Parts: sequence; C-alpha cells; structure tokens
Amino acid sequence: MLYWSLKTLLSEPMRLIVSALAVAVSFILVIFFSAVFEGESEQMVAYLEEMEADVWVMQKGVSNMHMSSSMVWDWKADKVAELPGVREVAALLYFNGPVKIGGRDWFSYVIGISPEYSRAGPWALARGKSMPDPGEVVIAEVIAKLTGVGIGDEITLVDRRLKIVGLSKETFSMSSAVVFVSREDLGDLLEGRDQYSYIMVYAEPGVEARALAERIEQEVDKVNALTSDAFIHSDRQLAVQMGAEIIRMMTIIGTLLATLIVAFTAYSLIARKQRELAIARALGFGSGQIYLAALYQSVMITLLGLLLALLISFTLLSWLPTIAPQLNLAIRLHQFVPLALLALPLAILASLGAARTVARVDPMAVFHS
Amino acid sequence: MTTKTIAQATTIQEMIIQADHLTRCFGRGDAEVRAVDDVSLTIKRGEMVLIMGPSGSGKTTLLSMLGALLSPTSGEIVIDGTNISTMKEAALAALRAQKIGFVFQSFNLLEALSVEENILFPARLSAAGVPGARGRLDELLEKLGLIARRKALPSTLSGGEKQRVAIARALINQPPIILADEPTGNLDSHKGQEVMMILHDIARDDDCAVLMVTHDPRVEEIADRVLWLEDGALRDRKSEQHSWVIDPVCGMRVDEWTASVMTEYNDKKFSFCSGRCLNRFEAQPERYLDETKHRVQD
Repeated sequence: MLYWSLKTLLSEPMRLIVSALAVAVSFILVIFFSAVFEGESEQMVAYLEEMEADVWVMQKGVSNMHMSSSMVWDWKADKVAELPGVREVAALLYFNGPVKIGGRDWFSYVIGISPEYSRAGPWALARGKSMPDPGEVVIAEVIAKLTGVGIGDEITLVDRRLKIVGLSKETFSMSSAVVFVSREDLGDLLEGRDQYSYIMVYAEPGVEARALAERIEQEVDKVNALTSDAFIHSDRQLAVQMGAEIIRMMTIIGTLLATLIVAFTAYSLIARKQRELAIARALGFGSGQIYLAALYQSVMITLLGLLLALLISFTLLSWLPTIAPQLNLAIRLHQFVPLALLALPLAILASLGAARTVARVDPMAVFHS
Repeated sequence: MTTKTIAQATTIQEMIIQADHLTRCFGRGDAEVRAVDDVSLTIKRGEMVLIMGPSGSGKTTLLSMLGALLSPTSGEIVIDGTNISTMKEAALAALRAQKIGFVFQSFNLLEALSVEENILFPARLSAAGVPGARGRLDELLEKLGLIARRKALPSTLSGGEKQRVAIARALINQPPIILADEPTGNLDSHKGQEVMMILHDIARDDDCAVLMVTHDPRVEEIADRVLWLEDGALRDRKSEQHSWVIDPVCGMRVDEWTASVMTEYNDKKFSFCSGRCLNRFEAQPERYLDETKHRVQD
C-alpha cells in the first residue's frame, strides 16, 4: 500500500506540487516570523556585542539597557578605571525614546558620547564622521534611506534640532535604532551633565571578567557590575519575552494552517481514490494498511512542503533585505528544529480526517460499474 | 477407516466452497428485502459454476457473501474447510488475500500502477511477498499475452487487456477460488469469448473453483454447472424462461430474460451482450436499427 500511495501521489505531479507549495507557504510564514524575531533580537543587542567590553557597570538595581534607564556619577568611571585589573574604561550616557527623523518618530537608543570615550561611538560608518559635536547627530544609514534624509539635514530629539553629520551601519532595527549624539547635548536634555548611564570596562589580559565585576561592586558604591555575557543575555531575554508571545502565536497559526492544508490534501486524495481503496480492501488489505497509505501520503506532502519551505526561505530571506533594508532577518538552523519536530505529528493529525473516510470504505463498491 | 468414510473425506476435501441456508436481508421491518433467501450450495475444486438469473435476483449479493465481502444475515459459509461466518473483518481480509481471487466487470485496476505492479499488488499480502511472486508474474504475463504491455498503465490498455490484467492479479497468489462478477460485461463479444476461455482453462488446468455471475448465455456451453437464482433463491430454470433476442450492434443472441444491459429507444426495448455494444448503440442508434432491419430482411 505504501508503494501504491507513493505512485498515486507521483501520478498527479501538479496536484502534489501545489499541495506541497501550499504547505510550504504556511511553513515559510512561520520561518519568516521566526527570522524577523531572531534578526530583531540580535540587532537589539548588537550595540552591546560590538562594544566588546568585559564588564558593564550601571546603576544599582538595573540589569538591562533595553527599556531601562541608568544613572551613575561620572567620577565613578574614574574610580573604576583606577581599580587593579582594569585596562581601560569607556562611559556613555543613554536615553531610550523616540527621535523624529524625516517627519516620523523612530524609537531609538540615543547614545551620548564624548571624545575621551570615543570607542562608545559607531563601529561601522557609511558616510560622514563618527564623533558628533554638540548640535550634531549620527543616525542609522537605513533610516536615512527610508526617509530620504542625508548629511546636513536636521532631526528632532525631544526639544532640540540636531544636524546629521554621519550615517552608521548595522545600527538599525525595527524596534530600536541606535542614534549617537554628543554627551553634552544628552546631558543637557537629561539634566545629567555630571553623570553617565553605563561604564564599559576592559580588563587587563588574564583578568577574569566575573572576578572583576565582583571587585567593582565591592569597591564602588551603588553600582551593578555585570559581565558582558550576563548583560547581553539579560537584554536578549527581555527581547525574547517581549516577542515570544507574538512569535508563538504566529507559529501556532502557521502550523494550524499547514495542518489544515495537509489534512485537506490527504482527505481529498483519499476521497477521490475511494474506489481504489475499496479494491484494495476487497483484495485483502486491512483498514490499518489502508490508513497507513493515507498517513504515508500526509507525511510525504508535509516533508515535501517542509523541504520546499527551507529552500524558498533560504533563497527569499537572503534576498529580501536587499529590497527591504529595514528588515533584520536571521536564519539559524535551530529555527527549523521545531518545524521538523512538528512535521510528523502534524502529518498524523492531518491524516485523521482521511482515516475516517478509510474506515467507511465499502469493499462492495467494487461491484458498481 | 471404512470405504464409505474415505469417500466422504475425499468429497469434503474436494469441496472448496460450502454454503448452508444462506440468507441476507437489507433494511428492517416493512422495508426489509431478502436479497438472498436460504441458499445452500457446494462448489468443488476445478469446477466452473455459473450463477445466472434475472437482474436484481441477488446474484452479486450471493457472490459477495461467498467472497467474504459481505456477512450473511443467517446461515454458514465454509471456505476451504474454514467456517467464515463468525470471522472478524481482519481475518476475513486475510482469507480473501490467500483463498480468493476477484475479477470484476469494471476491471478495477489501480490507475497509478503499471500492468505488472497491478498484478503484483495482492502479492504484498502473501507469505512470499513480491519477490516470491516474480516468477509467477512472468508466467501469468506469458500465459495471458501481456508480456509486451507489462510496463503500460491501465489508461493505455484496451478493455480485453484490462480484464486479462485483472485475471492475472486474481491468480497471482494462486488462490483456490476465483469469483468473477460479469467479467465479460464491458467487453465486446470477441474479447468476452477470450476472457471466458481463459477462466475456463484456469478451472481446468489450475484446479481452481471458478464461480461466475454472468448474463452471457455463451458461457453456459463451457460451464460445469449453472445455478439459477430468482428472487434470492436457487430454483430450477425452466426452458421457456429463455427469450432470445438479437443484440442490434454485434448481432449476438441475447436472453432478454436475464440480460442486464438494456435500453429503450423509440418506445422499443433493446438488449445487448455487453456495455460496449450499448455504448455503440447509444452513440448511433439509427445506424444499428438500419443494420438490424437488413439483417432481418436477409
């Protein structure tokens, strides 16, 4: 019966391809949302990763950058710098909020940087200069492309107009872009000219980051010191918590859609082949064997759909950002694991409708001409 | 063991199908119909037996019960020494696979499978499986003249070829019983004759019991026995119940009393030897009516 089900599927290649494509579309939907989520999550911690600090120091009680605010006195940066095991520090002022660019509000990480801590600035520049002076700003190149603004144009940060002097790369995500201003401007805005938000600490060679973080917390009052790994993990977790529900919902919808398509295809195939199933039953095949044939067809359609989804996803998702630069898409192998694991139960579930039909197959139908 | 006991044992061994007081009812209460009513029969190995009778007399219902496809309302069926009346569906399916080969009027081939795949299809249920049936496949392809068509799909075959494939499929597991339901019904007279002779040879050469439901009076000449079924019961057939008419397409003699392929045209009833002749008639009725007139004048 398995051979028959394979041959029956292959005898109608167009129907098979259309069914598999329909399944693939629903899988692609799941993969696409997962890729967007993964890309956005990665982009949200891109700044933290690119800074390559060993330890991040922040206000006591704070453990994130995303959706957080932190204030530490500027002298604490000097104090941290003097601790044994510290090779270098870089401090930044930070504000999390909307920036009006090209007539539209962009939710942004606004980083206030000063020349003495220039490594807190943009790590990849497309055009212009990387260190903004007072009254200047460096924005993400993608925003400039999307809004049509460029170097020399102005943006609005809360109540002040800033002139674009640089365009940075790899600093855009749909949920938050990174905008660089002078520490002076941001300090005025936040009324924190003598404060920083985060202090990045670079350890001497051979100094372990965790031990250094503990030492900083012991030596400097009212600060929280996290290793870079812990800080990035904490921010990533926050992003996952925020997006996980949506992604889970989309995965459920996509999977349900795929199940319905496979079920409909398997059912219609079985319904159209009722007579052949009656022949098989008359010749001595049992209901179990016939059901297995239906299940096999469901599995084939599902796996073919999954394969097509993977091929199309890899092709489409690697090409999509070239026409839609605002999309941060990340395709990782682990994203396909849930789909691959879902495929078999999905096929079994989808074949249940066909099983009902199989159980009703009347072998006496072979006598009808 | 006495001589009488040995004779009885031999007779029982020869019996491949034994039906006792077989009854099958459909519906309930006032709507109940007795499709088969208290039928008892025995069929031996190597015997070719016809079940004939008017349309709606219960022939196919009887064949279905003897083929373990339909359970009787009452009565017992013994196939090759096994009482199947109380068997579960799974056991009946296994019995069909091993003991019974089916040949149907509408061929019932699997469209996606080639000729040899169709023939080998039931072999998957045999103990030897498909590899063990390869030799038998070649033998049957040779015997039924299908060698050149072994890779062809059913859609490319003629009616006669399709029925020969169906016969080969019925024989692949070497069952002791072949049940055929109107095997010539969709074939023209020449192809029908060919199929009948194949079934006759199977009974004679392979020691198979061939039980055939048919309206084709030509088969009577080669059958060992004819069972006449009327209103669900076996009866003696009276000779006056023959009403011979001419098939207007092929000119063959057809018993109007038993013919199942009939149509009405210009308020006149016409009987045909097969569905194929009926189709031809329906395509160009005037042509065949003219030919019938000429035939009568001649």
